[in-house]
Amino acid sequence: MENIENLNQEFEKCRSQLKAYILRITTSKEDTEDIIQETYLKSHKNINSFRGDSSLKTWLFTIASNLAKDLMRSKKRWPENVTDICKEAAMGNQAFFQEAMQIRMSSSQGNFEIKEHISFCFTCVSKSIPLEHQLVLLLKEVHAFKVKEIATIMELTEAMVKYYLRTARSKMVEIYDHRCSLINKTGVCHQCTELNGIFNPKQKAEEELRKIEMVKNADNPDKEHLMDLRLKIVEDLDPFSSAAAELQLHHLQHNNQVMKNHLKNN
Amino acid sequence: MKKLLILLLMATTTISQAQDGKAETEKKTFSRTTSVSINIKADKSIIWTLMTQAHDIPRWNSTIISLEGKIEKGEKIKLKSTVDSSRTFSLKVVSFTPEREMIWSDGLAPFFKGVRTYTLTKNENGSCTFTMHEKLKGITFPMAASSIPSFDESFEQFAKDLKIESEKIQNTKD
Repeated sequence: MENIENLNQEFEKCRSQLKAYILRITTSKEDTEDIIQETYLKSHKNINSFRGDSSLKTWLFTIASNLAKDLMRSKKRWPENVTDICKEAAMGNQAFFQEAMQIRMSSSQGNFEIKEHISFCFTCVSKSIPLEHQLVLLLKEVHAFKVKEIATIMELTEAMVKYYLRTARSKMVEIYDHRCSLINKTGVCHQCTELNGIFNPKQKAEEELRKIEMVKNADNPDKEHLMDLRLKIVEDLDPFSSAAAELQLHHLQHNNQVMKNHLKNN
Repeated sequence: MKKLLILLLMATTTISQAQDGKAETEKKTFSRTTSVSINIKADKSIIWTLMTQAHDIPRWNSTIISLEGKIEKGEKIKLKSTVDSSRTFSLKVVSFTPEREMIWSDGLAPFFKGVRTYTLTKNENGSCTFTMHEKLKGITFPMAASSIPSFDESFEQFAKDLKIESEKIQNTKD
């Protein structure tokens, strides 16, 4: 009985973190809800087998990670230029922009902020690295788990966790260095500033950008540091409760559908 | 006794030199052997993973331009190296003992054969010694010898890159 009470308390405490984590893996609100519910049911069913070798939080993340891996394993990973593909699809989809504008005008979670889009963009781009690398990256850099805890969650050695983390970070650094115009003047993607112009036409993007630490440090040659600043933005935003949550979830749903079709045909 | 001490001293010197990342080449009429050893302060499994994840090798190893295939026993791999970027080497993984040793080879004995051996040894202080050794040999070797570039610089760079990347991963904040 005491176990169940502790479990319920811990589940409630980390529910929003779990949801954010699973959303960034599945990019689907519905799949996230299903996995969170299943995690709750599984944890209740198996609570008596929980030996306390790890914290309850680590155990819950282990269950959720396994469910997410089972769901995602058979699905193709997204390409690095996912934002280009989805942008092209959005340009030809008037209904998408109308819905988005409706959310922007009427929802209390319909703000558009560049920071929110940076976090959204990270979710999409991180789906281009191998699944296990993505999970390790999220667990370490966004949810602040220790290497040892991640080894438990992922059933990997600590050495492999460190290796996956290194390769995941390196790949993400390379992609953003090549693509992101916020940190590289010749970067090919300007989507966050373009969308800011659409949703916040009266706002001066330059002023908004100057508020972002990563952009202020764009000339810093230490790309790893820029990645840390990007990850800090992701860490600080809850994709379900932020001021832009509804708008970004709508955008994510769009990208998810576009990528489903794209991967089916390629 | 004095002779024995001198011999022991020489042997110790050779070992320490061999682990400093400096390549050594021994040339004979029908063969050439290049080897390099370096001390790496990282877990064996990290070093081994770096050495065997083929698709990831060009990321950290500046001497490898591309590497296709799986690094597993019996598998064939295609490698392009900075030693001669115009050539693609087709090699076979002939021996594979995880975290200890692997051997790649190409060519056809007795005419011309290249055998590259990678070895990892754990030291008492927890560090590892990585050794890479390549022997080119065969009856046609004397004819080809002058056109085969030196491997020394490439071997030294390989060992250095592996050390830097392994230690960087090892030192990931817990």
